[in-house]
Amino acid sequence: MAASLSSAGTVRVLSTLARSSLLCSSSGSRGLHVTAACCKNRAARTRVGKGEKPLTYEQAFHPHHIGHCKGWLSQHTSNLKGEEGAAERTMEDVFIRKFMFGTFHGSLANEIVLKRRGNMLIVCALMIQKMSPLKFYFLIGYTETLLSHFYKCPVKLEVQTLQDKAVYKYI
Amino acid sequence: MAAPGRHVGHYIQRNGRFLLCNIEQVLGHRSFGWTPAVRQQAAEVNQELPESIVIPKKKTWSKEAVLEALSSTVGRDPTACPYMFQDDPFLTPRTSTEFRMFALSQESGRDAAKFFINSNPKFFTKDFAEPHIPCLMPKTVSLVLEEVSEEALKERINLRKVSAAVDMYDQLLQAGTAVSMETTHGLLDLICFYCDKDPAEEEEPQREDTDSDEPKPKGRIHRASDFIKLTWKENNNAERIFNLLPERDTRCYSALIRGMVKYRAPAKAYSMYTDMLNNRVTGDVHIFNTLISSVVHLRVNYEARWELVTELLYQMNQQKIRPNILTFNSVLQTLRRCGPIGKSLSLQTVSEMKALGIAPSLATYEHILCLFHKPVAQKQYGADILQEIVSELEGTSLTCQDPNDVLFFATAMRVCVDTKELELGYKVHSLTEFGENYKLQGVPYQRSTYYGRFFNLLCMMEHVDAVLKWYRRLIPSLFYPNVQGMMDLLQCLDTDNRLDLLPDIWKDIKTVGHENKSEVVEEVLQLMAREKHSPEVQESFATCALDVKNEFEVKRLLQWSNLSLSNVTIVLLRANKTQMAWEMLELFKSYNRVPSKEVLDAFLTVCHSDGTPQKAVELVQAAAALCLLQTPTLATRTLAEFDLTEEQRAILTELEAAGEPSD
Repeated sequence: MAASLSSAGTVRVLSTLARSSLLCSSSGSRGLHVTAACCKNRAARTRVGKGEKPLTYEQAFHPHHIGHCKGWLSQHTSNLKGEEGAAERTMEDVFIRKFMFGTFHGSLANEIVLKRRGNMLIVCALMIQKMSPLKFYFLIGYTETLLSHFYKCPVKLEVQTLQDKAVYKYI
Repeated sequence: MAAPGRHVGHYIQRNGRFLLCNIEQVLGHRSFGWTPAVRQQAAEVNQELPESIVIPKKKTWSKEAVLEALSSTVGRDPTACPYMFQDDPFLTPRTSTEFRMFALSQESGRDAAKFFINSNPKFFTKDFAEPHIPCLMPKTVSLVLEEVSEEALKERINLRKVSAAVDMYDQLLQAGTAVSMETTHGLLDLICFYCDKDPAEEEEPQREDTDSDEPKPKGRIHRASDFIKLTWKENNNAERIFNLLPERDTRCYSALIRGMVKYRAPAKAYSMYTDMLNNRVTGDVHIFNTLISSVVHLRVNYEARWELVTELLYQMNQQKIRPNILTFNSVLQTLRRCGPIGKSLSLQTVSEMKALGIAPSLATYEHILCLFHKPVAQKQYGADILQEIVSELEGTSLTCQDPNDVLFFATAMRVCVDTKELELGYKVHSLTEFGENYKLQGVPYQRSTYYGRFFNLLCMMEHVDAVLKWYRRLIPSLFYPNVQGMMDLLQCLDTDNRLDLLPDIWKDIKTVGHENKSEVVEEVLQLMAREKHSPEVQESFATCALDVKNEFEVKRLLQWSNLSLSNVTIVLLRANKTQMAWEMLELFKSYNRVPSKEVLDAFLTVCHSDGTPQKAVELVQAAAALCLLQTPTLATRTLAEFDLTEEQRAILTELEAAGEPSD
C-alpha cells in the first residue's frame, strides 16, 4: 500500500515538472511526457469498503488532516523562507522510502518517518516482527551503511517492532 | 481556539488565586496542568473509597529537587540496552550469545553494503558533501595499473595483494629496473606481515563456539588469524627476495626477524639476528622487542632464559638503542615463564624502567600481578602490591600502550577475589569508571570476565542489599551472568535470609537464558522447599514452582529428578494447593521417580488437616504400588491418626504387614 501511494505522489510531481519544462524549453528539443494524473480528491484517501479493510491511523486520515490529527512524515527545514534544496530533499525521501520498502520487504507496519537534524538523516520505521532479530540487524547495518555512502551524510535507523500492524479502524 | 485562549489567559492572570481555588475543586481528578508540585493534593483518592477518605499531607519539595532529578539522568543508564543496538524489546539482546550474534549480524550487514559499494563505485562517486568526507567514498579494491613499473608495485603493496606484489617485483627484477629501497622495505614488510599469503577477506570473524555460556578457558584465542595455523616456511618469498638484495639494512632484517617470530620460527629469527651482528648492521628497538619475547621458545632452562635476555639487553645497550615500554613489557612477560627467579628480577626491571624515565603501562602492572599472585591460591603477599598499584593509578586517565594492557583489569579483579579484599575491588572498579578508562576493559569476553569476578566478590563479601543494588546496576546492561554468577547470587540470598526474593530472581534467570541449566533450577527449588515461610511468601513460591513445572513439562527443557519433583510437591502442599499436589503424584508414577519421605509425610499431614481419610488410604496404596520402603510406617501412621472405616483398616493392616517381611 505504501508503494502505490508514494508512486502516485511522484507521478503527480513528475507530470507537473514535465509540463513546466515543456513551457520553458527554448533549445528546440521538444519532449512530451504524459503520466497518469492523480486528482487531489483521490490522493491518499482510501475508498470506503464493506467494513473488512483495516486502516492504520496514518491511512485513516486524509491529507487535509495533516497538522490537525496527523503529523508530517518528512521533516526538514528546506521549506522555510530563504532555504534551498526542497526538491532535492523530496527526491531523496522518495528514494529512501522505496529503498526501505524493498529492503525490509513485508515487514513495514507503517510509513517511514524521515527526520533531518543537522547533517544526520534519521529514518524512523515501525516494523512487524516477521524476521528473527539477526536478520533485522543484518538489514539495519546494510541499510545504514549503504544510505550513508549514497547520500554522504550519517544515516541512522530507529526501528520499533510490533506484533501486527496497529489497526485504527476498519472501513 | 487560539483567540479565546488568550482571553482566558488574561482573565486567569487577573483573578489568579481566586480562580485557582475554585478550579481545583471542579477539576478534581485532573490535578496536573498548571498547579505546581508544592500544592499537589492527591485528589485521586476521592474516587476509590467512599468510606474513608485519606487526604495525605502536602508534598513539599526541597530546593534542590529539580537538580537532583536532572542529575539522575546524567551518567550511565542501567536500564538501557547497549548503544549499538536498537532500543526495542524485541531487538535487545538478553544473553551474551544474543549480544554477540546481534553485533556480528549487524557487522556483516555493513560488510555486505561495503562490498556492494566497492564493487559498483560508479553509483557512489557523486560528491555533494561540503567539506569532502573521504570515508564515505567507495574504496578502490581492484588494481588499476597493469604495466610493469614501480608505481604498480606500490599500488599492490597498498592494496595488500601479496602474491601480485611478489610477481610484480620479480618481473621488475627480470626487466632489470632498479627498485628503490623504500619500496623494497615496504614489500618485505608486507610479505613478512602476512607470511607470504594473501590476507583472506574477512571470513567469519569468529568461527568458533556456539556453545557459548560456559566461561571460556583462559588461554583461548579468538581471532580468525590464529585459527589458520600459519608457519614460516623454509625459503619462502621473503627469504628469497632478501637473499637477492645487494645490500641489506636494518629495516630488511627487522622485517624478516619479526615475521619469523610472529609465525613460529624463533630459532631462524635468532640465527638471522646473529647474521645481522656478523654483518655489522645495527638493530633497532623492534628487533630486540620481538627477540626478547621469543626467548621462551629458544631456551628451556629458567636460568638460561634469563641469561639470554640479559645478553640481548647488553647488546642493545652496546648498539646504543634506547629501550621503550614494549621492551620492558616483553622482559616481564618472559620473566613470568622463568620460575622462582622471576619475582625479584621483575622488581629490578621495574626500577630500571623508572630510572630510564619510562612510565609503566597497565601491561607492566598486569605482569607483576601475575608473577606475585599465581592462580593457585598462594596468599603470602596479600594484596599489598595491588593496593600500591591502585593508589598510584587512582584518578589518572589511562591510555593503551601495549596490546596486553586490556588484561589488567580482569587480573586485578582476580587478585581481589583470591584475597577477598572488598574495598580494593571497589577501588579497582572506580578506576574503570573514571573518565574513559572503561575502554581499557577490552573485548566483550574480557569485560564479562571482569564483571563476573567483581560480582563474585560482591556476593561473597557484601550484605544482600548492597549485592542487589549492584545487581540492578550491572545486569543486564554491562554483563550477562553465567551459571556461576547465578549460583553465587542464590547463595548470597540464602546467607542473608532473603529467600522471599526467589520468584523475582527466577524471572531474571529465565530472562538471561539459564532456565535450561539443571543446577540452577535444582538450587532454586531446593531453596524454596527447605523451610516453611509466611503465607504470602509461600503463595509466591507456589506460583514460581508451577512456573518451573511448566519448564519441565511443557517446554521439555530438562528432565525431572527425584529431588526436583519432591521439592515442587512440597512447595505446593505448603501453599495449600492440594489438588495440584495430587497431580504431581501422578507425575512421579509416569516418570518413574521416587518421592522422598518428606513428601509423603507432608501429604499425610495435609490429608489429616483436610479430614480426607480416603485420600490418605489412596496415598498409602500408591506408596505400596511404588514399592516404597516407607509404606509400613505410613500405614501405621494412617491407622493411628485417622478414623477409618473397616475396609480401610483392613487394607492398611494388610499393607503394614506386607511391608515388614520384605525388609
